[in-house]
Amino acid sequence: MRIKFSGVTKIFKPDIVAVKDVDLDIAKGEFVYIVGTTGSGKSTLLRLITREALPTRGSITVGSVNLRRMRAGDIPYYRRDVGMVAQDFKLIPHLTVFENVAFVMEAMSVPPKMVEYRAASVIEQVGLWRRRFMRPPQLSGGEQQRVAIARALANSPSLFIADEPTGNLDFRTSEEIVKILLAINAAGVTVVMTTHNQYLVDSYRQRVVELASGRVVRDEHAGRYADDDA
Amino acid sequence: MTTLRYILRDTVRLLVRHWFLGILTLITAAAMMWVLGLTTLFSLNVRNLLRRLESDLLVQAYIHRSSKAEELAPAVRGMDNVASVRLLSPDDALARLQSRMGSQARVLDLIGENPLQWSMEIRVKTASEIPHLVRTLMAMPEIEDVIYSGMVVERVGAISRVASRAAVSMFLLSIMITSLVVYNTIHISLYSRREEIGIMFLIGATRTYIAAPFVLEGTFLALAGSVISMLGIVSAYFPGIRLLQNSLPFLHFVGDSGVIGQFSLLLVGFGATLGWTCSCIVVMRFMSAAAKPL
Repeated sequence: MRIKFSGVTKIFKPDIVAVKDVDLDIAKGEFVYIVGTTGSGKSTLLRLITREALPTRGSITVGSVNLRRMRAGDIPYYRRDVGMVAQDFKLIPHLTVFENVAFVMEAMSVPPKMVEYRAASVIEQVGLWRRRFMRPPQLSGGEQQRVAIARALANSPSLFIADEPTGNLDFRTSEEIVKILLAINAAGVTVVMTTHNQYLVDSYRQRVVELASGRVVRDEHAGRYADDDA
Repeated sequence: MTTLRYILRDTVRLLVRHWFLGILTLITAAAMMWVLGLTTLFSLNVRNLLRRLESDLLVQAYIHRSSKAEELAPAVRGMDNVASVRLLSPDDALARLQSRMGSQARVLDLIGENPLQWSMEIRVKTASEIPHLVRTLMAMPEIEDVIYSGMVVERVGAISRVASRAAVSMFLLSIMITSLVVYNTIHISLYSRREEIGIMFLIGATRTYIAAPFVLEGTFLALAGSVISMLGIVSAYFPGIRLLQNSLPFLHFVGDSGVIGQFSLLLVGFGATLGWTCSCIVVMRFMSAAAKPL
């Protein structure tokens, strides 16, 4: 799914400029790291894509949809095609791993048999089959993040948004998470991930967009890294 | 069908998860619906008693000897608030007087000719309208005099007004308290699940899917409260009025099982509607705030 930002500015009341004059074009099937210091506008950029926030100026097009003109009633259907993962996992603590994953499909009225099959499949994909009856508080940070990824994958999204998915995790677990995201990307899904982790950015080279005070100050494609190495 | 199944399952989950709060709401709703039911029954009985008392009130109109009583009666019958008119001939009036006087009736023989005149016994629909009727009758040239129990009429009218106002006030107060309790319960239930609701919005659940279990929870609690209160009231009502009837046989209470059945259905239906309305309002307000883009 292609994402296109055209002159996007987001100002939070009264006068906090989170994102300023951003022009960005992310191609279908691309993997993009959004980097920058705290408060640089990374999370706001993702919220604009998920339509949790509306731009003050400019337009955002995801696929063929202009998010600014989207009717409120269409938002749930749009979000079903966007997998989302957050730093704090956003899992429902009283539900098991299986129920957390199934819950997404149930909200979309998927028949129970299909829910069971699909949930089992994505839980296995992230390597948590043996933990399927455990609840999030009983899992490690990395495992919880993998549940969040499984949940985001449940609807086979065309776009995958990850906001600091490795923020609370140790180095080894962070690498595992990025490898899972790369595998998702390899299946043709567009992945946009914010991170502070420079090591991951350098190790698993992809396109990097850097934000500073809400502006894009660097936009390097994976190819350029390769050129630099040469 | 699948959606309905998930919604019902989530409603049960909500009720189980917030069971203590649910029981508190159920008890409060039952208590409030009990007050509401008792107020309604009290009001029904007061109105019934007053209606009977009012229908027992008589206005006696005496007709000039020169006027034709039979021609006057239909005109009076056609007046507003007149329930019935009974024409009393001088002979009938004398016979009634004699029967009332009993052994002293012989005194009447001394008078010789019947001194009584044609009169009308007028029953009214509402006691408070009697003064107006009396004024209208007095203005008619055929009527010589009008007698009615003015004080009783005025008192009954005043009691009727006060009782009606008190019943309406209690009714409104009960509705307000029940609404507030249901509203707060659903609000607490929503607030305790606000993160979950936020996640549901993010993953693409529709507002209806998110809201439905909360609305069903509120409706169920109010409905269950109404059923409990209705059972309590109905099981206590009939023995209660039998007891009162034995002590105060001159009073007539509403004892028709058909009327009480209708009242029970109305109480339960009203409870469910109240719960549904309050839940819808609180859920829609909460959803609007939660779904608002930054």
